[in-house]
Amino acid sequence: MVAVSVQQVTKSFGATKVLRGVDVHVPAGGFAVLVGPSGCGKSTLLRLLAGLEEVTSGSIRFGEREVTRLEPRERDIAMVFQSYALYPHLTVRDNLAFGLRLRKTDPAEIGRRVDEAAAMLGLSHLLDRLPKALSGGQRQRVAMGRAIVRRPALFLFDEPLSNLDAALRAQVRVDIRKLHDQLGATSVYVTHDQVEAMTLADVMFVLNGGVVEQQGAPLEVYDAPATRFVAGFLGSPAMNFIKATIEDAGGGGLRARLGDGSANLALPPGLPARPGQAVEVGVRPHDLELCDESAAEIHLKVDFVELLGPEIHAHCVLAGAPVIACLETRTGVSVGDTLPLRVRRLHLFDQESGRALR
Amino acid sequence: MIRRRTAARLALAGLALAPLLLGAGEARADEGDEAATIQLWHAYRGAEEEALQAILEAHRAAGGPPVETLAIPYDAFGSKLGAAIPLGEGPDLYIDSHERLGDYRVRGIVAPVGDAFEGEAAFRSNAVQAVTLDDAIWGLPLSQKCVALYVNQGLLKEVPATLEGFAGLRDTLPEGVFPLAYEAQGAYVHSALLGAFGGSLLGPDDSFGFVGDPAVRSLNLARALIDGGVVPSDADGALVTNLFRGGKAATAISGPWLAADLEGSGIDYRVELLPKVEAADGAPMRPLLTVEAVMLSPEGAKRADVRALARRIAGPEAAALRQERARTLTARADVPLPPGDKLLAAFAAQAEVATPMPSAPAMRATWEPANRAIKAFLRGELDAEAATEGARKRFDDVRRPLPPPASPTPLLIVVGLLLLYGAFSLVRQVRSGELVPALRRSIPAYRYVAHAVITVGLLVILPLVVGAATSLWAGRPETGHYVGLANFVDILTARGGPLLATGSFYVVLLVTLLWTLANVFFHLAIGVSLGLVLSRPTMKLRGLYRVLLIIPWAVPNYVTALAWKGMFHRQFGAVTGLINALNQTFGLSIEPIAWFSHFSTAFTANLATNVWLGFPFMMVVTLGALTSVPGDVLEAAEVDGATRWQRMWQVTLPIIRPTLLPAVTLGAIWTFNMFNVVFLVSGGEPDGTTDILVSEAYRWAFTREAQYGYAAAYAVLIFLMLASVTRLGEWKAGRRAAREAAAARAAQAVEGGGH
Ligand SMILES: Nc1ncnc2c1ncn2[C@@H]1O[C@H](COP(=O)(O)OP(=O)(O)O)[C@@H](O)[C@H]1O
Ligand SMILES: [Mg+2]
Repeated sequence: MVAVSVQQVTKSFGATKVLRGVDVHVPAGGFAVLVGPSGCGKSTLLRLLAGLEEVTSGSIRFGEREVTRLEPRERDIAMVFQSYALYPHLTVRDNLAFGLRLRKTDPAEIGRRVDEAAAMLGLSHLLDRLPKALSGGQRQRVAMGRAIVRRPALFLFDEPLSNLDAALRAQVRVDIRKLHDQLGATSVYVTHDQVEAMTLADVMFVLNGGVVEQQGAPLEVYDAPATRFVAGFLGSPAMNFIKATIEDAGGGGLRARLGDGSANLALPPGLPARPGQAVEVGVRPHDLELCDESAAEIHLKVDFVELLGPEIHAHCVLAGAPVIACLETRTGVSVGDTLPLRVRRLHLFDQESGRALR
Repeated sequence: MIRRRTAARLALAGLALAPLLLGAGEARADEGDEAATIQLWHAYRGAEEEALQAILEAHRAAGGPPVETLAIPYDAFGSKLGAAIPLGEGPDLYIDSHERLGDYRVRGIVAPVGDAFEGEAAFRSNAVQAVTLDDAIWGLPLSQKCVALYVNQGLLKEVPATLEGFAGLRDTLPEGVFPLAYEAQGAYVHSALLGAFGGSLLGPDDSFGFVGDPAVRSLNLARALIDGGVVPSDADGALVTNLFRGGKAATAISGPWLAADLEGSGIDYRVELLPKVEAADGAPMRPLLTVEAVMLSPEGAKRADVRALARRIAGPEAAALRQERARTLTARADVPLPPGDKLLAAFAAQAEVATPMPSAPAMRATWEPANRAIKAFLRGELDAEAATEGARKRFDDVRRPLPPPASPTPLLIVVGLLLLYGAFSLVRQVRSGELVPALRRSIPAYRYVAHAVITVGLLVILPLVVGAATSLWAGRPETGHYVGLANFVDILTARGGPLLATGSFYVVLLVTLLWTLANVFFHLAIGVSLGLVLSRPTMKLRGLYRVLLIIPWAVPNYVTALAWKGMFHRQFGAVTGLINALNQTFGLSIEPIAWFSHFSTAFTANLATNVWLGFPFMMVVTLGALTSVPGDVLEAAEVDGATRWQRMWQVTLPIIRPTLLPAVTLGAIWTFNMFNVVFLVSGGEPDGTTDILVSEAYRWAFTREAQYGYAAAYAVLIFLMLASVTRLGEWKAGRRAAREAAAARAAQAVEGGGH
């Protein structure tokens, strides 16, 4: 178990700057998730942690230890690859034992640890098979097992679930978190899937274009996105954004004139916005709530309805911008209805900088 | 539509057949005026060929029938004649060396010349003796060739009277100039020395002649000359030419061909009689004499006009013309030498003291044992008695009586049973009523593969079967007989000799295995290493290196083999040059290595050549195989704690192993049969120890009495060994696959089909 501290790390491949000064701090035993759209540099950062790539500048420390220039094998880490990267010529047992054998661990100890890991992951009956005779889920578990038996101070996961089907993914997600809690080692987990990020993370780092846009506990980040990008990236369905201009509502209050100007929204007091400022109003689909006509802040006409079972997604247009509202199924909304809605919570972003105004 | 297609096909078929039909017409036309045309084959080139054409024109002008000539390379002459004459396609008369007469006679492709012979008085007696077999004349002598003594007049005024006297020249000649250069390693020139002592290579009744007192004394004298610095060691024909041409030898023993090589060299030379030998009571050295003669095929000998033509070609006018135009030494007694031609006069005088080369077929079997004996003796491995006795044994071994004819009954019974079994199973299948419909259904499929089956059958299967069948016969193709498995028994029992003697099947097999293992090891080690190095993406100029490293593979291997052989030459090779350079630069005194005098060095020379030839293949295969190694697996190993070295041995190599395996099998088979390198680089030296099975088989077929059956038995044994080893590998791989599949099935059952 070791704390991870990445300081002002940059990484370029030739002229391409992939990471532009990243700081990441993970407490010992924590589960950190690096999340971001594909191509944002998550894998690169993880590979820097593993020692598979060398930093262009900046430093990496594991606990008190400076590891920036160390070889992977000197870092006491284990990594689970997206493709699993199992040794195709070795049986499951030998795959698991490979790292231990290289370290000249006592054979009896190797046997014990392999059996233990296999039991933990339900691989016991597969130990004598070659990887090519395994299903995708089994391979994934072998890759996990290979990391576990090593008992490293730090686990690195690079999108380990992306090659699994949806049902399996949900299950393994839970398994991974349980394993982490059981083993207690620090974990750094890379994914582009915000659901995984939200459910797994103790601390979450949202990467975009080679920088950390925001970090923090998942719910904090979800509730208070620091930028328009983070707000849009987290949450499903994604947050609704409507371009707006700030206007003086009189009486010291401000309001946002939405989109084409056909609707207004009163802003809560205390927001650092000034009249005339170009902003984007962000409203999560779940923050739109049906209400009485009298209490309605906006009215939306339903174009299309997705039935998901417990809830429905009503696709509407607000002041020329598409908007989705997540409503309880029992409300019985159907296409053509005009909905009186209340905005439970809204976010405001400066159009120019994309920063949240709060 | 259909009709048009049929018509097109007919037209095509007609086109294809047209040459055949026309050819047939031509052939018939040939037969029509066969009586008029005479076919003549020769191996002449340049001035000699022009002289021959002039003679033929004169004959035609004098009313003779038209003559068609065909020039055939000297080396191919015998086999072409043997193939053509029995089929009635060959020449009516041909010009060849007299020493082949014995062989041609056994094969029935030559006949006595009858009235074409003008009488003994017309020719030199040596020449007549050369073409006489059992009191009949089998060829008309044209010219004679033998070696004589070339003297560099710039270096030497007075030639010593005796061979021993040459030792005295060392003090008077400049530093680094040999008093005498000749091919001391070869039996051909050595037999001149042997002749002085009254010996000859072939004794009476086709026994081995290079034994006993004359042989021992001639060998000792040759060694004394070399040890005394009179004669260079390790000299072959090219070296003798170079030394004399370069003024590094005061005299040289060589034939008329050296004169051609000396043109434009500026060396002022004359030719003299070979010296006398003091140790042989002053007897002269007697070189072997080769007589070129006109020979008649059995058909040609029956025709008066052919005999007349032969008589003219061997006649006095023709001889004078040849002498004048091509400077060939005539074999006639009645044609004067061109006045003032001292060279021709010297060779004519030497021909008088030469011994005609025996033309008995047994003569050909003397060369290899005699050559080996001389080399082994000069290397100091054996004393003269042991060397010559060993040579006699080898000669007798090659000339041993053929196995007795065996009854072909067992073979016929086996073949009969097989046929019967085939017929029986065919009948059974037809009876069961499935075969005929199945056949009918498959006819389109058969149509698609028919041409391939026929081609493979003709080009692969048929030669294989014929080769295998040959191994059941013994003797020359014309006179051989069926011997059953006697050839195999002979080979596997080392012909009654010790099983582990040099040249026995088992020793050669051992050498072959060592050769194969060593080669495959180095091919793999170097090829895989280079493949690994060249696959690194960070390397600059990768493409260039790849191309450069593939070049050895792209060059035809015999070219490479000859180049390497040159590099290993003891006196003038690049390796010796390197050693000399080292010696000079660092003041060392490393002796140049006589690469082909010891098994270890000769084997190393072969190995170096073949490794050079073979590693690019493994390199290319490795480069291909490496693309199947996923990068992230290597990274996983890196994270797992593997060093670069461990990653290579424990990940990369095991992953590419299955891809390399077929290449290794293939490489092993190629190496096992790598005739070119062994034959061209070491040539089996020393003493046949570096021969591998194929080169040994080659020697039995082509240098030892044409024992094709015996050679074919070797080939069959090689085939059986390679086939069974390959099958064994496949069987093992098959078993492994089956084991894995079974394990997977068992696991599946336990798991009950879950993830
Ligand atoms: N070895 C490399 N050479 C050049 N560019 C690279 C290399 N590895 C990654 N990149 C680039 O860096 C960017 C980030 O890649 P990566 O970290 O793999 O993204 P992701 O966040 O999807 O895992 C991508 O634009 C990719 O093209
Ligand atoms: Mg990635």
